[in-house]
Amino acid sequence: MTDSKYFTTTKKGEIFELKAELNSDKKEKKKEAVKKVIASMTVGKDVSALFPDVVNCMQTDNLELKKLVYLYLMNYAKSQPDMAIMAVNTFVKDCEDPNPLIRALAVRTMGCIRVDKITEYLCEPLRKCLKDEDPYVRKTAAVCVAKLHDINAQLVEDQGFLDTLKDLISDSNPMVVANAVAALSEIAESHPNSNLLDLNPQSINKLLTALNECTEWGQIFILDCLANYTPRDDRESQSICERVTPRLSHANSAVVLSAVKVLMKFMEMLPKDLDYYGTLLKKLAPPLVTLLSAEPELQYVALRNINLIVQKRPEILKHEMKVFFVKYNDPIYVKLEKLDIMIRLASQANIAQVLAELKEYATEVDVDFVRKAVRAIGRCAIKVEQSAERCVSTLLDLIQTKVNYVVQEAIVVIKDIFRKYPNKYESVIATLCENLDSLDEPEARAAMIWIVGEYAERIDNADELLESFLEGFHDESTQVQLQLLTAIVKLFLKKPTETQELVQQVLSLATQDSDNPDLRDRGYIYWRLLSTDPVAAKEVVLAEKPLISEETDLIEPTLLEELICHIGTLASVYHKPPSAFVEGSRGVMHKRLPARTGSGEGTECPDVGNAAGGSAPEAAPSIIPSQGDLLGDLLNLDLPAVLLPLMGAGFGAAPAVMPASLNAPVGGGLGDLFDLGGGVGMPMGAYIPPKTVWLPAMKAKGLEISGTFARRAGVIQMELVLTNKAMSVMTDFAIQFNRNSFGLAPAGPLQVLTPLGPNQTIEVSLPLSTVGPVMKMDPLNNLQVAVKNNIDVFYFSCQYPISMLFVEDGKMERQVFLATWKDIPNDNESQFQIQDCHLNSEAASNKLQGSNIFTIAKRTVEGQDMLYMSIKLSNGIWVLAELKVQAGNPNYTISLKCRAPEVSQCVFQCYEAVLKN
Amino acid sequence: MISQVFILSSKGDHLIYKDFRGEAGKDAVNKFYEMVTALTGGQPPVVMKHKELHFVHIRQGGLYWVATTKADASPFTIIEFLNRLTALVKDYCGCLSEKSVQMNFALIYELLDEVVDFGYIQTTSTDILKNFIQTEAVSSKPFSLFDLSNVGLFGADTQQNKVAPSAAATRPIVSSQGEQGGKNEIFVDVIERMSVVIGANGVLMKADIEGEIRVKCYMPSCSEMRIGLNEEFSIGKSQLSGYGAAVRVDECSFHQAVRLDEFDTYRILKVCPSQGEQTVMQYQLCDDLPTAPPFRLFPSIERDSGGRLLMYLKLRCDLPPKSLSQELSSPDQSAELQPKNKAVHWEIPRFPGGAQLSALFKLEVSGLSAASLQEVGPVSLSFELPKYTSTGLQIRFLRLSPIQPGPSQRWVRYVTHSDSYTIRI
Repeated sequence: MTDSKYFTTTKKGEIFELKAELNSDKKEKKKEAVKKVIASMTVGKDVSALFPDVVNCMQTDNLELKKLVYLYLMNYAKSQPDMAIMAVNTFVKDCEDPNPLIRALAVRTMGCIRVDKITEYLCEPLRKCLKDEDPYVRKTAAVCVAKLHDINAQLVEDQGFLDTLKDLISDSNPMVVANAVAALSEIAESHPNSNLLDLNPQSINKLLTALNECTEWGQIFILDCLANYTPRDDRESQSICERVTPRLSHANSAVVLSAVKVLMKFMEMLPKDLDYYGTLLKKLAPPLVTLLSAEPELQYVALRNINLIVQKRPEILKHEMKVFFVKYNDPIYVKLEKLDIMIRLASQANIAQVLAELKEYATEVDVDFVRKAVRAIGRCAIKVEQSAERCVSTLLDLIQTKVNYVVQEAIVVIKDIFRKYPNKYESVIATLCENLDSLDEPEARAAMIWIVGEYAERIDNADELLESFLEGFHDESTQVQLQLLTAIVKLFLKKPTETQELVQQVLSLATQDSDNPDLRDRGYIYWRLLSTDPVAAKEVVLAEKPLISEETDLIEPTLLEELICHIGTLASVYHKPPSAFVEGSRGVMHKRLPARTGSGEGTECPDVGNAAGGSAPEAAPSIIPSQGDLLGDLLNLDLPAVLLPLMGAGFGAAPAVMPASLNAPVGGGLGDLFDLGGGVGMPMGAYIPPKTVWLPAMKAKGLEISGTFARRAGVIQMELVLTNKAMSVMTDFAIQFNRNSFGLAPAGPLQVLTPLGPNQTIEVSLPLSTVGPVMKMDPLNNLQVAVKNNIDVFYFSCQYPISMLFVEDGKMERQVFLATWKDIPNDNESQFQIQDCHLNSEAASNKLQGSNIFTIAKRTVEGQDMLYMSIKLSNGIWVLAELKVQAGNPNYTISLKCRAPEVSQCVFQCYEAVLKN
Repeated sequence: MISQVFILSSKGDHLIYKDFRGEAGKDAVNKFYEMVTALTGGQPPVVMKHKELHFVHIRQGGLYWVATTKADASPFTIIEFLNRLTALVKDYCGCLSEKSVQMNFALIYELLDEVVDFGYIQTTSTDILKNFIQTEAVSSKPFSLFDLSNVGLFGADTQQNKVAPSAAATRPIVSSQGEQGGKNEIFVDVIERMSVVIGANGVLMKADIEGEIRVKCYMPSCSEMRIGLNEEFSIGKSQLSGYGAAVRVDECSFHQAVRLDEFDTYRILKVCPSQGEQTVMQYQLCDDLPTAPPFRLFPSIERDSGGRLLMYLKLRCDLPPKSLSQELSSPDQSAELQPKNKAVHWEIPRFPGGAQLSALFKLEVSGLSAASLQEVGPVSLSFELPKYTSTGLQIRFLRLSPIQPGPSQRWVRYVTHSDSYTIRI
């Protein structure tokens, strides 16, 4: 006799039959009947009509039957709350049963019946069970508190169950401890500010002791709880790490990953020069490698995590390249993940090995995998300079196979290689051109066209090649059209004589026959540029391009830090913060890695080393000397080496972004061009605060001064309005500034040439320089001014928006941004709220750009846009910002990071001013 | 935190459905089946998301074992848990199949109730669970000792699954009929999986071995078992002995119930095996095999005058001849072209050690060029080597204490599987 008979199809009147059987006197028959009911329930049949009959079977001393009845109850109680009350008496009685199994069963089941009315009856039995002598009952009761909290949180607090639960953390039985920790962790998540878990060195010690005795599942709860603790100093951090490390050799991968999470987090606090730090790094590698011998499901999840770990701490796995080589029978999703990690680990030491592998992969059958392998070869070339030549020759070999998609992928990556190493591998162009006809994907076509345009002077038949593309211009995708337009313009600038016709053709195709606004605008700009001033056109179109960066798909540092705190969870598989996919208030608290403490600071920021090897606040460069030092001192600050070349450009006369307006050889025609651009939708101008009265007439013998500051075309101007409210004529105006934080000084005399008669007003603008003497002011942007006329000398002070000091070349390269963001200690980060701002991120970014706040990257996570921005001040200080904009929420959050945190407040004020005007 | 657990047949029938937290509806089951059947090959099936609900599943015994969660739970925990659950069901019901799950649904519900509470995993240890579980397992067919004549390898569940599970290892561990059937039996299996890459020039590029020792115990009263490994067994690269005869592995991990007090000196594992199946030890060896890889290939690929692709493959088995039994006689091989995978599939039922086999394949390939010869390859081998461990790991002895009353049977079995054995051309 088997249970499968219960699944046979229902006949008419089955319910009645069951009813009869349930009410039978024979225990066996009853049991069989309940089983049948549950079988029907599983396949989705409605057997709720039998509720009273099943509940009647509850009073039995047969544990098996009781369990079956409870199973039924849990399923249907919610839909029949009134009848569920019928069961309460039995539950309460069962909670007093001498058999601990029955006591636990009753309290467990009662908690699962999610009916409000039942909860009040639950409290008393639960209180008893929490103090039961049997650990099995206690551990069940601990979970029951979490269940009750889920139904009625207030009740749990009122009844004082939380305190009882806290006491259970010190229980003698590790299973009880684990469940108490799990329940408390869950409850704490819904009360982010309550100090429920109250983690302190003593309680941590208890947890660590329980860790050694628990079941594997209990260990996971405890480790996850530990991961939320922030040790006081590096010594405590090390001692916890030492006690967690043995978990790394556990057979259960979930335990291993939870331990890795704790270690990765606490390691952050250890000084890097500590011996133990190195030991720990070594210990982390083997367990991660072991995960790769598990079944594919676990392997995939493990690889997603390793991908994060490798980005955070590449040194852990740098010698383990071989384990990431793909096996032929790996599922494709595992292969792709492995490939990604291989590239991240590629270095000069192992590149030969990696390339040999990648070449093999490029001849496999699976198209997606082959494509990714080819791309990987290109990425290696860009990442490891020494290997570039070998990569290119490998790619050429692959092109020889003439397999269509291999050739196309190869061309796309070769384009990137050209960008990275200009004028080095042009010899391969001929081979590429041979494959022109086989390219049918837009990306590959666009890449090829770019190459032809870029190296037009070395390709004899460049015009023919480009012309051949032009025939079907309107059938091409936008990507190809744009590229073709640019390439032909480049070709024209390089070989003007023979390609005049071609360029006219493409310009008219783009501007007259196309309805794509991007294409049309670009066409018009080229056209205007070429017709007004070919020399300037050359400067603009053939300008040297910035080199592309190594790794394009790094995860943003803040996100990476958060994900590291979620190692082993779904977040680490999706590579998204939990707030992006977990509903409700849970997960809104962003986890951060702890800051390095004590002696760690010195090693972390070697660049500020000579500013006295003291503690953190001292080591941070103080950008503004409190004494009136000269600007020269400012420039000598020990900013990290990465920044120096970039800064250098800023002090020269020509910022790179706007070369045309400042030092173009011929100004006139281009001015026109830029006017045109402004109309088409260039970012709007810089923010200028409204004029305010700085000096009231009463205080200055009839002279009233109001004014504002502006930055126009890279020049800072003080715009003054002088009004004569006295009866006599004023003459002989002059102006002087006191020493100030950024060395502002008048760049010329105050130009008031005619005498100012009574009731007359004059507007003057005074260009300012930033090379004057420096003294730190409070507030930072305070400026003390003296104005003299024929009557007297008057003093006033005003505050300038720091945005006028934002220079035009403040756009940082993505790569440098990532590195700098990581490099600036977290202590220097400040967060602000901007309220009541109703711009979308696009508009905000445009507006900010007008004031030289440059958006470098944008990422959208679940409706929340994160904008990454950089700002450079006239004295070379960089400010990095992360602006969070949520659709429909008028409140923005902004985080600012700067080596001179003093400026953050002023910068924030500028954000507010710019965005709200 | 696990929200629901359900088991589906390969056709999508609901076999078991258990809701632990009342946060998701039962329609999730159908949604899951819809999603999992709609997956294309390239998408990772491990974690799937529908609105707020995340599905994690594994496939075992032709069934979908699924857990859902709404929190940022650990997929590792869930996958490990589902694997344990399948092991538990296997232990309790004898084998994993649609039929056995259907027959024992009441038992499985009871198990689930004890194993998970409110989404928190409580325990998955057979020993602890024995105290709570009331329902008795229903076995699909009565166990007979005579089935032991073809004892197979229960551990041999690689993707090939060539060895049918024997009846001996597929009966429920807790049997009400008490002494019926095989009384006191214990199986110890040493299973190794081999990953090898041999380069086009015949050089061994990579050779990894993952191995494990599994114990399946049917003894009701076994307090301690001592498993003796090779005395010269060593772990880690530093301990290389000068004689070269050592059996070495890089990494070794043990089940938490294994006591290692005699391991360092005598290489003895002490276990108190609970009834059911456990992996007591796992180990790995990378790159430094004690013996040559078992198979070598000598390919020659060319284009004949008629534009056909000629592949002449010579495969040699480098195992010592005595390592296979006598009955391995002349092979009856077969080969077929699989256009979908662009592969030729060559099947060799038996391959005696020291022998050499060859095959010539002629293929019509449209648009065959000299460059396309570069695309041929690699050759991948799947095989199983019985009574052989590539690391050389052996079990010296198996002692039970206290001495079992009555007859007890102890079985030790060795097998090496190919995990990924690739030879490049």
